[in-house]
Amino acid sequence: MRHVLLIAVNFVREQRWPILVLMLWVVGFSVLGLVVNLHSAADDVLFIFKQLGVYGIAFAVFFGASAIHNERKTRRILAVLSKSVGRGEYLSGLIAGITLSTGIYCFAMGIAGSWILSGAGFPIDRLWWLMLNLLLACLLSSTAAVLFSTFMNPLFATLGTGLALGLPAALARRFGTEWGYPLPAYSLLEVLLKAAFGPQPPMPMKPVYIAMAEAGIFWILAWLIFNRRDIAVAVD
Amino acid sequence: MPPVLEFDATSKEYNRFLGGRVIALQDFSLTVNSGEVFGFLGPNGAGKTTAIHLAMGFMRPTRGHGRMLGRPFGDPATRRRIGFLAENVALYHRPAEQLVRFYGALNGLHGAELKRRSREALESVNLYGEARRNVSRFSRGMLQRVGLAQALINRPELVILDEPTSALDPLARVGVRELLQRAKNEGTTVFLSSHLLSEVELVCDRVAVLNKGKLIRLGKTSELLQSTHQAQVIARGIAPGDFAGGLASDGVIKFDVPICAQRAAIEKVWTLGGEVVSVNPLRRSLEQLFLELTGDQTRAANQKDFT
Repeated sequence: MRHVLLIAVNFVREQRWPILVLMLWVVGFSVLGLVVNLHSAADDVLFIFKQLGVYGIAFAVFFGASAIHNERKTRRILAVLSKSVGRGEYLSGLIAGITLSTGIYCFAMGIAGSWILSGAGFPIDRLWWLMLNLLLACLLSSTAAVLFSTFMNPLFATLGTGLALGLPAALARRFGTEWGYPLPAYSLLEVLLKAAFGPQPPMPMKPVYIAMAEAGIFWILAWLIFNRRDIAVAVD
Repeated sequence: MPPVLEFDATSKEYNRFLGGRVIALQDFSLTVNSGEVFGFLGPNGAGKTTAIHLAMGFMRPTRGHGRMLGRPFGDPATRRRIGFLAENVALYHRPAEQLVRFYGALNGLHGAELKRRSREALESVNLYGEARRNVSRFSRGMLQRVGLAQALINRPELVILDEPTSALDPLARVGVRELLQRAKNEGTTVFLSSHLLSEVELVCDRVAVLNKGKLIRLGKTSELLQSTHQAQVIARGIAPGDFAGGLASDGVIKFDVPICAQRAAIEKVWTLGGEVVSVNPLRRSLEQLFLELTGDQTRAANQKDFT
């Protein structure tokens, strides 16, 4: 467990600049909350808040699709895996690091949202539930991206993840929410995208459970593949 | 005592992108014993790094298998007892001491012991004065030394070093040589892959030469270098043309003769009115042996003339 934490914290440290870029969006959103009249522009502010949620998912996919590739390309993976670190621990560390990074972002979004949106009458408990949904969607997306990245380069891993998560999203939009449940990243995000001031719709729990189970399955599949891969290409 | 590192008919093949296969290592068998400093030589593309990566578990062999400290290759728990420095060392950008601590923690060290060992490891490579400086600002030689520090932090039983001195200046090389000698005296086994043949000649007990994925020579360094059956005679008072291959230098004549013919050569010098200064068994340099074994006979001959 200590190895996983060390690798996760190291990942966050290494990705500090992309995380800072994400945080700047939240800062920008906060500034917007200060300068606009919340009562007249509440829906617009909520719309921007939803956009921030989509950026979080996009970054989770990019982090996941490129994490292993970057480490292999820079050959830094060799020094890490020459220690008593198993491949499974290494993958867990990367996924935990991505989750930690997106978690920091979701938490910052939650803080900014609580301050700004609650001023316009959005219930805070609902907002934090939305942030948990968003974090889970990020976890599922990044785990899928890591799975694809164990046997594809970052571009194809990103495209593969986009297709795998986008197809249920398209079906859900065409035929109804339940069609998105087989890979529920969109279903989790949809709760945020459909959020509105006023009466709140019921919050579905099914995609939450499915996402947690599937993240675990993707992790196991990624480990099985990564465990059989040659991580170093001979340089001589 | 069981071998520290053992390759047993290990082969590694790669698939080419457009079909076909590349054989990086072919039926490679080798045993490294406890406490020795083992030199691993070969030209570029010989398969040295492939063999090291197989041992570390970064790759899986296509055929055959191997053991490190009694456990199959790639066992994470065994790596706790190993120190490894990769060729072209690549490390995270952070202060040197933090970095060494990070790698030490990945090897199960913690608390005061981790702190002490990281300080000792940096001191052993003369970098403790730079402990707080970010390694991104280090020269390549300094990076190589931080790499060595992270490899030694866990006081390993086996150190595997892939080109450890390639980026170092002569002074730092002497430092690394002393470090290896110290490690050997403490009972650590050292597996050293290097292009710097003079370095290997000085520190290694045994040497293996690899070429095109195959082991072509294995033996004690001293035996490999003295396996020539020639002697060099140095004489004065004779003409260079009196002996085949005779070279005049600093007022003396040098020529090589087979060991079995050295008595006759000495008598011939005396008959010609000359004086024998010395007769020594000809000792090849590792460089010369390397060139001979890897098929570059012309350069080997030139090297011999040069020496």
